[in-house]
Amino acid sequence: MADGLAIELRAVTKQYKRDEFTVPVLESLDLVVREGEFLALMGPSGSGKTTLLNLIAGLDYASSGEVIVHGQDLGRLSEGQITRWRANNVGFIFQLYNLIPVLTAFENVELPLLLTNLNRKRRRENVMTALRAVGLSEREDHYPRQLSGGQEQRVAIARAIVTDPYLLVADEPTGDLDRKSAEEILNLLEQLNSEFDKTIIMVTHDPIAAQKAHRLLHLDKGQLIGDVVQVPRLGAAS
Amino acid sequence: MKYFTYIFRNIRRNKLRSFLTIASVSACLFLASILASFTAINEEAASGTRDFNRLVTMSSQGLGAVVPIVRLNEIRGLGGVEFATPFSWYGGKLGEEIQPFAQFGVDAETIFKVYEELVVPPEDQKAFIQDRAGCVIGRKMATERKYQVGDKIPLKGTIYPFNLDLTVRGIYDSPPKSDGRMCFFHWDYLEEGLKRDFKGDRAGNAGVIMIRCNNSKVMPDLSKNIDAAYSNSDTPTKTQTEEAFSKMFAEYFGNFKDVISLVGIVVVLSLIFVTGNAMAMAMRERTTEMAVLKAIGFSNGRIMFLVLAESTLIAAAGGLIGAVGSKLMLDAYDISKFFAGFLAFFYVPWSVALIGLAVSIGIGFLSGLIPAISAARLSVINGLRKVV
Ligand SMILES: Nc1ncnc2c1ncn2[C@@H]1O[C@H](COP(=O)(O)OP(=O)(O)OP(=O)(O)O)[C@@H](O)[C@H]1O
Ligand SMILES: [Mg+2]
Repeated sequence: MADGLAIELRAVTKQYKRDEFTVPVLESLDLVVREGEFLALMGPSGSGKTTLLNLIAGLDYASSGEVIVHGQDLGRLSEGQITRWRANNVGFIFQLYNLIPVLTAFENVELPLLLTNLNRKRRRENVMTALRAVGLSEREDHYPRQLSGGQEQRVAIARAIVTDPYLLVADEPTGDLDRKSAEEILNLLEQLNSEFDKTIIMVTHDPIAAQKAHRLLHLDKGQLIGDVVQVPRLGAAS
Repeated sequence: MKYFTYIFRNIRRNKLRSFLTIASVSACLFLASILASFTAINEEAASGTRDFNRLVTMSSQGLGAVVPIVRLNEIRGLGGVEFATPFSWYGGKLGEEIQPFAQFGVDAETIFKVYEELVVPPEDQKAFIQDRAGCVIGRKMATERKYQVGDKIPLKGTIYPFNLDLTVRGIYDSPPKSDGRMCFFHWDYLEEGLKRDFKGDRAGNAGVIMIRCNNSKVMPDLSKNIDAAYSNSDTPTKTQTEEAFSKMFAEYFGNFKDVISLVGIVVVLSLIFVTGNAMAMAMRERTTEMAVLKAIGFSNGRIMFLVLAESTLIAAAGGLIGAVGSKLMLDAYDISKFFAGFLAFFYVPWSVALIGLAVSIGIGFLSGLIPAISAARLSVINGLRKVV
């Protein structure tokens, strides 16, 4: 985008309706994320981090306010349109990897490409590029159960980047990993951010993980507090 | 089909469940195809007789009553009639076998002219005509029971209190879709017994009269004229084409067609439930996965397609094994020998097998519909929350 803004949230509120009650989660929230930024989101459990991430990733609609991502006002998209928009613009990384157990690493990474018009050969090229980027090209025929947690998450990252999306969202991507594997995943995200200019939003409970980001935001009681700008790390874009 | 791998792996995910579903579909379709074939074959066999221009004269009282044998020569004298033979059911036991095969008392001179599709070597035919206690049997029966020309067939009467001691004088060959297990003997020989041992009560009659006409155009008028001539007699007749007669004969044993249709509907419905239940279980286990697919951009339509393709493939596999399998199996193994004369031949027609396959595809589609709709309706957010 010309203005260099990846994400813009204006007066966003989100409440869930549970039977007769409405549970307010986000209240009049404003947020601006620059293109190529690596943003970490922390906050107590139930503070609405996942909810916020879902709004930005186009998985859910805000109750009011505007969510603009990559120049697109997501509130204006129908369910079908926003599904297509997600396929083209967002890569998802989940805490529990969420790979399809009956598909190999290769086939898992290929899934988002099945939605494109790419032929088999081009798909293969792209999948192998993504697997190489996460250092697992020799594991293409392995099923998820044959991989370690860290490796599974790397396959999930390959799946998230294989369509070359504009934005990566990661909800506690290291939450289920040991320190060493977590470190590898974080380095990988950092590399995707610095080398491929991916805008990344990562929810985490881990302060060490948060250190990798350019900026750390705290979400509490429906509000964003603290806007800590990190010291740019060596080689990281700022 | 780039989604085939995923659909196929999903089917193999719970091998036992898929196997059981496929097995129940195939077992039911196997049976249903066989049942449906009974009706289909009856009709095919009946309409197959059209080429032979045959009429059947029976008593208007039904098959329990008889036609006086004097009618035979009267009918033979009518224009358009080429040959006619009496046809009388004996229903004898062979040893302890109550219904071994169909036995008919006929006119030895004309039977193979009326039934021109049954072929007997001329010298055997002559031998049959010359032996009052001789008989000609079908090739299928001869092969199955290892009968040869010259063998004795001692039949014990069940309807009549006398026995027939027949000697095989010839073996007829018949086209595939005709009865290869009949036993023809002299009507005179039966008549002799009736006069001697049945106080002459039943003597002087034929069960029915089989008429071969010289062309099909004369048949409507001829049958009308025959019946009109005897309508005021003590023994009115009913004359119809062999096709109509065969159909009537089949219906004599109850309204099979309706029963079979009813069974078919119940089978289809229960298969929809069985397959639908298996699909619903499979989908419940994959809630998170469906949500993930939706998150990465699979539309509701595509999700529905995946579910429907899976249920359809499962049911179609069952249909292929059951319906087409029943055809191939019964082509290889003839079960009609267990039906002693009531079923001349048996096979599953391709039409039935293919309809069975089509029905199984329909079953798969319908059973996948509800699971597919609920998978499409699943909210991504809630599906994903299940994990965390
Ligand atoms: N689909 C939903 N329906 C009803 N309530 C919901 C729904 N999703 C979230 N909530 C509620 O909204 C609040 C925020 O949930 P959210 O999952 O965003 O929190 P979080 O910050 O991600 O928590 P955690 O760190 O445990 O993942 C919680 O109170 C939760 O119960
Ligand atoms: Mg969360």
